[in-house]
Amino acid sequence: MTSAGREFSPDFLTELFRNPLDPGYADAAARRARDGVPRGSRSRLTSGVAVLTLVALGFLLSVAYQQTMADEPAASNARKTLVDQVQTRRAETAQLQQRADQLRTDVAALRARRLGGAAVAELTELEATAGLAPVRGSGAKITIRDGPIPVDPLTGEHNTQALVKDSDLQLACNALWSEGAEAITVNGQRLTATSTIRQAGEAILVDFRPVTTPYEVVAVGPDSLADHFREGYAGRFFKELANRYGMAFDAAPVKDVTLDAASDLTLRVAGPSTPPAPSGGSSPGSARSAGPTSTPSEGGR
Amino acid sequence: MIAVLALIAGVALGILFHPTVPAALQPYLPIAVVAALDAVFGGVRAKLDGIFDDKQFVISFIANVVVAAVIVYLGDQLGVGGQLSTGVVVVLGVRIFGNVAAIRRHLFRA
Repeated sequence: MTSAGREFSPDFLTELFRNPLDPGYADAAARRARDGVPRGSRSRLTSGVAVLTLVALGFLLSVAYQQTMADEPAASNARKTLVDQVQTRRAETAQLQQRADQLRTDVAALRARRLGGAAVAELTELEATAGLAPVRGSGAKITIRDGPIPVDPLTGEHNTQALVKDSDLQLACNALWSEGAEAITVNGQRLTATSTIRQAGEAILVDFRPVTTPYEVVAVGPDSLADHFREGYAGRFFKELANRYGMAFDAAPVKDVTLDAASDLTLRVAGPSTPPAPSGGSSPGSARSAGPTSTPSEGGR
Repeated sequence: MIAVLALIAGVALGILFHPTVPAALQPYLPIAVVAALDAVFGGVRAKLDGIFDDKQFVISFIANVVVAAVIVYLGDQLGVGGQLSTGVVVVLGVRIFGNVAAIRRHLFRA
């Protein structure tokens, strides 16, 4: 604070810490001591300017405060709006889905009243194999879980080798079909003849709806389904994956499960039906054999 | 006393007019505020030291704000705006801290 602080200091930071006050104040004080207090009008002018400066300062502070406050909600508002929209749409979807289910039940009831007896039974059977009606029975439950995802400590990259891939789920489903499964769901999504299991980035979509780990593939079929699956090609494949990458794999028989109907099945081609053909021929180009006639006692109830 | 009233008047004006800051100036606003605070605490300390000077205060206020903004602007043009803002904030922060410590010594004798 003495005029010695005016000396050029080679060490800026030390100076900054030791003497934070602007040296100009000391200079001004020294000048005043030397020349005496400045004349009235001049000093009034500078005081006025100082007051104006303070007004400007207060203005600046409040503007900065308002600006910061205005910025904050803008960011969180946008997010909140999006979240709201997502939730509203989701609720709408659920409502519409409920209505669709309701209407479907109504249609089924009306149809049952019109057709009656054997025709309805046959229709239900066909619907069950096509995935349009819920199915109850015993079968197998395959559980596959993602393995640990190691992060490379140097590059920060995720090693996604241990993630379950769409091809793994496809393989599991195809193996189940070939072992005689009559109906399959993946995480509650019923598979039909036109179902797709695809990868989109790191997500797996079943009929364009995302499913996540753990993946539960539930199948209704013969009682030996789980054992056959475990001992078959798919079982060995998943065991190998579990050993090598740490994925979890389990195949267990289940009793009395209910598989929901597929949410929507777009009818692409329709023609007059020839004499009842339970196999339906509805899975062209698909490796799956629906095999509805193999154990009719199991499904379609 | 007049100084406090002037400050309050400024805040009131800001609330009253509620100006919108142009987008181009927005990054400089926080820096300007820190620079202004440095000038204010310097002025308060000088007042307590008994060496306050109106002219010095006005000049240090304006110069602080302008220089801080210019440094950040230059940094933005050179691609080191973030780092230079940090530098400005550190330097001004150290000064504010030192001046507040001096004010504290004046007020509490500790």
